[in-house]
Amino acid sequence: MISIVNYGCGNITAIANIYKRLDVPVSIASRPEDLRDAEKIILPGVGAFDHVVTCLDKCGMRDPLNELVLTRKKPILGICVGMQILARRSDEGVLEGLGWIDGQVKKIDISNFTRQPALPHMGWNDVAPVKRDSLFAHLEVDPRFYFLHSYYFDCANADDVLAVTDYGSSFPSAVHCNNIFGVQFHPEKSHQCGIQLLKNFSEL
Amino acid sequence: MLRSRIIPGLLVSNKGLVKTVRFSSPKYVGDPINAVKIFNEKEVDELIVLDIDATVRGHEPDYSMIRNLAAECRMPLCYGGGVKTLAQARDIIGMGVEKIALSSSAIESPNLISDIAQVLGTQSVVVVMDVRRERNGYQIYTHNGTRPARMNPIDFAVEVQALGAGEVVINSIDNDGVMKGYDLELARSVRQAMTLPLTILGGAGSLKDIGSLISTFGIVGAAAGSLFVFKGIYRAVLINYPNRAEKEALNIQALQVSFAP
Amino acid sequence: MKQLQICTNCVMDTTDAKIRFDERGVCDHCNNYYQNILPNWHTDERGTQALQKIVDDIKAAGRGKDFDCIIGMSGGIDSSYLTYIAKEQFGLRPLVFHVDAGWNSQIAVNNIEKLIDALGLDLYTEVIDWEEMRDLQLAFFKAGVPHVDTPQDHAFFATMYNFAERHKIKYILTGANLSTECIRNPIEWMYYQSDSIQLKDIHNKFGTRPIVNFPITSILRHKLFLKYVKGVKVVTPLNYIPYVKVEAMQLLIDNFGWQPYPQKHFESRFTKFYESYWLPKKFGFDTRKVQYSSLILTNQMTREEALERLSRPAYDEATVAQDFEYVATKLGISVGELQGYMDGENKTFRDYESQENIYLVGARLVRLFGLELGGKR
Repeated sequence: MISIVNYGCGNITAIANIYKRLDVPVSIASRPEDLRDAEKIILPGVGAFDHVVTCLDKCGMRDPLNELVLTRKKPILGICVGMQILARRSDEGVLEGLGWIDGQVKKIDISNFTRQPALPHMGWNDVAPVKRDSLFAHLEVDPRFYFLHSYYFDCANADDVLAVTDYGSSFPSAVHCNNIFGVQFHPEKSHQCGIQLLKNFSEL
Repeated sequence: MLRSRIIPGLLVSNKGLVKTVRFSSPKYVGDPINAVKIFNEKEVDELIVLDIDATVRGHEPDYSMIRNLAAECRMPLCYGGGVKTLAQARDIIGMGVEKIALSSSAIESPNLISDIAQVLGTQSVVVVMDVRRERNGYQIYTHNGTRPARMNPIDFAVEVQALGAGEVVINSIDNDGVMKGYDLELARSVRQAMTLPLTILGGAGSLKDIGSLISTFGIVGAAAGSLFVFKGIYRAVLINYPNRAEKEALNIQALQVSFAP
Repeated sequence: MKQLQICTNCVMDTTDAKIRFDERGVCDHCNNYYQNILPNWHTDERGTQALQKIVDDIKAAGRGKDFDCIIGMSGGIDSSYLTYIAKEQFGLRPLVFHVDAGWNSQIAVNNIEKLIDALGLDLYTEVIDWEEMRDLQLAFFKAGVPHVDTPQDHAFFATMYNFAERHKIKYILTGANLSTECIRNPIEWMYYQSDSIQLKDIHNKFGTRPIVNFPITSILRHKLFLKYVKGVKVVTPLNYIPYVKVEAMQLLIDNFGWQPYPQKHFESRFTKFYESYWLPKKFGFDTRKVQYSSLILTNQMTREEALERLSRPAYDEATVAQDFEYVATKLGISVGELQGYMDGENKTFRDYESQENIYLVGARLVRLFGLELGGKR
């Protein structure tokens, strides 16, 4: 059973629709107790870092997620800001993220951009996996996904970087550390590539 | 490489899709759900759906239709038409829609822009400006081009950026449905005024027009209605959209113009 | 449970309630083909000559006009191949005519686009008012009859005839062909879609909004009035030349990037759902038997292959639930309500008013005068 964390910050419906069409059982977790039986978790996230962290804490999700992910080692996939809050800190805000993957969330460097719009990074861009990983299995050559963000996750350990994308410079567009996955792009809005990635996550 | 978004723009009136010319003479084009399903299967970059009745007739957005359309989209969907409150925006986003487009309500209650941006994020707020060229310059109109807003798109673009909008869509009333090219002068003047992502709608008659837009601006949203819905001299309704190779060719053009990255 | 008897020659069986077998176990569809159709069907020089004569007439009638005929184009293999030969082989100047009933698949739309672009032809689309189409389709579901695809079929023909009449076009070309359709669906399965009395009666009983924009025609109108009074002729060129389905498909794939469909008529999402799921599931009528039997008779498929394919369900189990939901959503009803119609009583066309008599008389006259070749009974 895939549980999608519903804490007011993400496109739950789009993700749920995809799993429904794939015939993968999915549930929406709006309260901590809904996460009790979670086998795998999806953590969406849109909006400013502090806002997203605040919503997560308001719903009381931090502790159950810590337990599920760090102690019980359940696979989790953070999407967009859902990936950024896997870090401890972001330049965008002052609050503390989940701190599960070492690194700092920083603003995309646009100093050598000559034209507008520089930010946000919005649209379809290439994602290049840097290592073999089941999350990216069965994708077409040169997969492309939809991005919409201004900050990126600067990983402390190169080993945690799963895929990179070019915008200004190369930044991690996907991370993977043990049972924790994060993607900066929106698989629920990336046609076949996104559907395949979400399917891969469900089959881990 | 980031690509420019090529975006079909659909208008809904009386539950059906319509196409207009200069914002009048709506021609019935068919059922919205099947059209969106076909665009989804064609893997379009993004989709804009605007209900052109909601504001002028003073009714709520058609939530059932929105829900059904969102269910067919595996790409970002932007919905506009009759959104006047944060609660409506929230409900619509909750149905699986990525972005809310505000047009008349952005003019009438600009604070709605910041209200929605604060709660749902700036990326979820798009301001659509319907613009007509007049003797004294470009002017914004609302209510399907019938009501002058007494505001020009350049100043308003600066204002909405400050209020927290995530994107601006410029819809040229004069070029709507004419299919003889975008109003590049209008696009340029708004582009220079603000740094937000910009999408241009109105006038695209061929992929070449989209190519020109992309070469001029590098990264831009190229939206089109008639181009992706009509075919040939009889304006036969046939949904079409460039394939991946054609899109790639249009985007490579942008690289040849000096733009970094 | 009554044992199914299958024809020893084709794969039609007793799910066609009116089927008759001879002493060799060969059905009346096959016998009708061998005795009445085959001897009169010429795809050799006789066929080409006959078609050339018609082509010359079309060209003469179209001189000075923007186009000389219209081709009813669905995006399917028959109408696609027809469009190709009309332009490339016979040098006609057709207007490609497409009726959008709100159920186009992406493949259909793509195929139409590829063909008209590559062949440099003009397209005209008639978009049927979706709200009226939806109401009419729903009415047919409520009526419990097998022929729920009547609104689409009826609209297709009515629109084409109306257009031809309005613009004084004398020739309509359709992809109807004996090669893949020499056996027709029994009328118990698919009653005559042109019967406007039946359509109107079902609409009166189960429709919820008036028919204003939806195009209505009638058998008398287009078989008699339009044909003899207005001189609008329907031509089926694929009956005059050798038409081998797999070869035609390969040619279109190779030359135009044409995309094949999983089964005949799948260019419409509704028809796909109707033929592969609704009809077999609710009524036990599998149109693949009709299509494969035609291909068996014309030596394009073996009986063994047909039986093997028929042993598997007509629908894709992985996607049928989604298709069901999509159809319900489009019709504006819940999945539960659509299931209710599936579970409801099975009716026939005889439960509603019809012009069946006219068709019976007409069929007899046609056979008497040898005016048309066909297998619909």
